Amino acid sequence: MRDFTQGELDWRPWVAPLDLNTASERQLIALKVTPSNRAVGAYSLVLAHDPEALGERSPLYNAVMFGTKGLPRADRELGAVAASRLNGCAYCAAVHALRFTQLTKEPEVMVRIQRDGAGAALEPRRRAILEYAAKLTRDPAAIGPADAAPLRAQGLTDLEILDLTHAVAMFAWANRLMQTLGEPTAPVREGNPL
Amino acid sequence: MTDVMDTLANLQPGSPLFELRRERPDLVKHLQGSDDAIFTPTDDGGLTSAERSAAALRIATLLRDGMLSAHYRARLAALDPDGTLARTVEGGARITEGRWDAILAHVDLVTRGPGIAERKDIDNLLAAGLSSHAVVSLSQLIGYVNFQARVLAGLRMLKGEA
Repeated sequence: MRDFTQGELDWRPWVAPLDLNTASERQLIALKVTPSNRAVGAYSLVLAHDPEALGERSPLYNAVMFGTKGLPRADRELGAVAASRLNGCAYCAAVHALRFTQLTKEPEVMVRIQRDGAGAALEPRRRAILEYAAKLTRDPAAIGPADAAPLRAQGLTDLEILDLTHAVAMFAWANRLMQTLGEPTAPVREGNPL
Repeated sequence: MTDVMDTLANLQPGSPLFELRRERPDLVKHLQGSDDAIFTPTDDGGLTSAERSAAALRIATLLRDGMLSAHYRARLAALDPDGTLARTVEGGARITEGRWDAILAHVDLVTRGPGIAERKDIDNLLAAGLSSHAVVSLSQLIGYVNFQARVLAGLRMLKGEA
């Protein structure tokens, strides 16, 4: 897996992206709800081949990752990075490692996860988050009531646990799209607006 | 009003987890919206509703989720009365049609090992006759059911169920 702590990667699609000049009304409407971003451009243009799914998934993703109150955003990004690292999605891991670091100013956490995966040495609250994220990512059937205890012991409320669940689960989805509709390519050049 | 996740997790209106989900109304709305867009789209791009339910049943089976499997089995039964697709999903007779085999193989690959997917896997689907729309629909479906199964696992955990 590519080192995801060295800045954002680019992404090359395996399905020809939609040509905006020939896009239908429905496709154009679906595309408006996505965040505008150079790297997400190609991705959104591929997903726009199914505008109905895109039109629902984009606001769902936003609600999962940016919802107010509940789990702090940095912890949602941590869940996203954990899932992406374990699924082997370098592109997602790179984007979300950058967001985590921008929020926390703690790049060392990302370096440890990149190097050691689910075994990364972190402080107890983040360890609990990482372990839950790893188990939920790898084998959801193995999750049981006892898995809530370590999170509750670290002070997470049920709303925060639900938020974490949604973030990790969302990356089971996002990673699969990124990994199977295209591939990461060499890092973007300096001066990228991201 | 109960939605698909409430039904799957057996959450009664007014119960703590039902209410907890409603702290995120946009999430509830667009989760149900995603389910509708993926399983009963207005334009299916050539990937039929029966194929969609069968693909979802395969994922639920691979993830060993009995409740989710029963849910998709019931949906499929309504769309595939002869049980033709159901039999291929549950490891029985193979359809000799390359297209469905290609779809099922892709469902297995993306569910179990998305990291080993290659460009040729998409080329195979396109060569088997799927449109770009159908390829993206299938990809969104696989992603959604993998998401759904994990949300369900978290809800059961919070409910205190195995």
